Amino acid sequence: MGSSQFTRRSFLKGAGVVAAAATGPTAFVRTARAQGKTLKIAQWTHFVPAFDDWFDKKFTKEWGEKNGVHVTVDHISVNDLRARAAAEVGARKGHDLFGFLDPPPAYEDQVHSMNDVVSELEKKFGKAINLVQRATFNPRTKNYFALSDNWVPDPLHYRLDWWGEVGVKPDSWDHVREGARKIKEKMGHPAGFGISQELDTNMMLRGLLWSFGAQEQDESSTKVAINSKATVEAIKLMTAVYKESMTNEVFTWDPSGNNRFFVSGKGSIIQNAISAIRTAEKQNPDLAKKMGLAPPAAGPKTRMGSEHLLHCYVVWKFAENPDLAKKFIIDLVASYNDAFLASEFYNFPSFPKSVTDLRGKLAADKFNAQQYLILADAEKWSAYPGYPGHTTAAIDEVFNTFVIPNMFARVAKGEQSAEDSAKQAEAEMQRIFAKWGK
Amino acid sequence: MGKVEGKTSALEAVPLGGTAVRASRRPLLDRESFLGPIMILPAVLYVLALVGVPFVLSLYLAVSDAKIASTGLGRFIGLANFTSVLQSPTFLRSLVNTFVFTVVSQALVLVLAKILATCLTKQFYGKSIVRFLILLPWVAPISLGTIGWKWMLDSLYSPVNWVLQALHVIPQSSWPMWFGVRELAMASVIGVHVWRLLPFATVIILAGLTSIPREVEEASAVDGAGFWSREFYIVLPLLRPILTVAGLFGIIFAFTDMTVIYVLTRGGPADGTQVLSSLAFFTGILGGDLAGGAAISLFLFPMLLLVAVVMLRIARRAEVS
Repeated sequence: MGSSQFTRRSFLKGAGVVAAAATGPTAFVRTARAQGKTLKIAQWTHFVPAFDDWFDKKFTKEWGEKNGVHVTVDHISVNDLRARAAAEVGARKGHDLFGFLDPPPAYEDQVHSMNDVVSELEKKFGKAINLVQRATFNPRTKNYFALSDNWVPDPLHYRLDWWGEVGVKPDSWDHVREGARKIKEKMGHPAGFGISQELDTNMMLRGLLWSFGAQEQDESSTKVAINSKATVEAIKLMTAVYKESMTNEVFTWDPSGNNRFFVSGKGSIIQNAISAIRTAEKQNPDLAKKMGLAPPAAGPKTRMGSEHLLHCYVVWKFAENPDLAKKFIIDLVASYNDAFLASEFYNFPSFPKSVTDLRGKLAADKFNAQQYLILADAEKWSAYPGYPGHTTAAIDEVFNTFVIPNMFARVAKGEQSAEDSAKQAEAEMQRIFAKWGK
Repeated sequence: MGKVEGKTSALEAVPLGGTAVRASRRPLLDRESFLGPIMILPAVLYVLALVGVPFVLSLYLAVSDAKIASTGLGRFIGLANFTSVLQSPTFLRSLVNTFVFTVVSQALVLVLAKILATCLTKQFYGKSIVRFLILLPWVAPISLGTIGWKWMLDSLYSPVNWVLQALHVIPQSSWPMWFGVRELAMASVIGVHVWRLLPFATVIILAGLTSIPREVEEASAVDGAGFWSREFYIVLPLLRPILTVAGLFGIIFAFTDMTVIYVLTRGGPADGTQVLSSLAFFTGILGGDLAGGAAISLFLFPMLLLVAVVMLRIARRAEVS
């Protein structure tokens, strides 16, 4: 066997054999796997890890055994959910169930209608709460493009000790401004309302706008309404709070930024889902005892905050098991007593009757029942992106390109007047509405 | 060996005109005319599939009304997306940011890479370790490295701020918020981008430096040229082609990459670090306006085309010489 016998021909033949050997088993495995049904779910990595434990290790496992289905769950970080959804739609391949954290009306053409699931759930549990209905239903096509199993309230978190010391309750935005300023002056602790290009800021600032009587669009969802006196007043209020009692870090945050800020013991007040106080309970129980929850601050017009998250599932048109996926959602909603407890009250039921005695459960919290009880009325003071209209594809783009946070940030940074910034936001929104209105 | 020799002698015995007949009898896989195109075909298909098709698709998307979940490619709407984008102050700011980010980062990369490469041509203790450390940012996954920097410059737990405070450079009450002030945020993303690209440019320049004939430097030393004279009148002119290549590669990386900005600032504060590539991503992928995103990204095309032409000309000149 001399080296001269190793010709190009023999090399290519050898390479062919190796390639066949390498790909053969893969093809076999694919065939073998296709024989059993698998339900593939993608959703976020929950801020309360106990919920993922319950969902992955208990609920999906038991549901799979009961229905003879293998269930896989892929968890995706908050910031990557939208990009992952876009990739799946682009490839026309992916999970059977995809969980978004805010309504995705732009994807309506690529998802199965959820009208049948909503009807089924309404028969069992009555109607979903109003904000869920308005955020996931397209009145033009009479179609539910997503099915929300839960939503998340967005209360104020504040330091009971410091706010008590300055004798102010964060009940209205004027009180928030006054109390935060006094705490910063007296104790050096800043307030923490994010003005950054991220999810939490998007929610908190919308609540502020509504409480001043401002809104992004009109009720018909066709006309931009952001440039108003109320918007200008809301921007001026937040700029004042920033200048008097916050630092530049509010421009740097991602969705976990305000949590870390508050749980570190540095901040006097934030607006966030209860993951902040729950984290403190686990990491620093003594500090958590000094933390209180309150409904969103009232403005001159009303008391209103945004839902912090609106978790909703879609079933892609290219999903391999759409019927199975829909059955899974129905069964999940039916199990919301367990889900509510597993999420440590983070996930509020979109169908309220799917959780029995919610107030009683809150009152039985072993750590601080009194604080959590304020969440029992959360539906009354919560709205959704696009309020008072519906959450449309145009609102979706406004939301995900951070038009509202940037409107506030430009003024807080002294780059524009409140009036000019509101005008710029209006122009930006009209441009976006024009694109989606065609 | 005998087999090969036998073949050669047989071919030699064939009269002129008979070679073609013999060649056609040779197995296909032994023929250059057949095997050559076959071997190059995967590369051509790769470029066509992963560069050509997406590029043509983006050209069409930019003049369509395609949305993220459109079932087809959308309707042709001419230049409407471009006119819409040009009306956006965010776009104009991103355009300026893109040039600032690219020009400043490339200037820094070239200067620092030249200094590092010059140091690495000298002999010193631990040189191999230094060389390894310099290369590390290039071989580490970019997202991983950038997440590391995100924590290094965090508003609450920044080790950088902690060290500066320990050295009494800054008081605790005025920790710089690296991503919270427009200028600091831009400096931060440029700094991390420079950190990432520096190894690549250093290696290229190092290769250029080692190719300069030793006699040239020795002759200049004999003539009494000092360090700076040698640098400016001999080394840099000789390095010019390779510096151009390093610079042009760097420009392409800086223009097209959004990872550093996406991970560190997401374009903030108030669009202060938003560049065209990140804005295209936010608009097209997160916002759902695929056509709008494609139109934004295509504003990069003329500049990248110019860079590509210059690069090809330099490559051709080097080939000729």
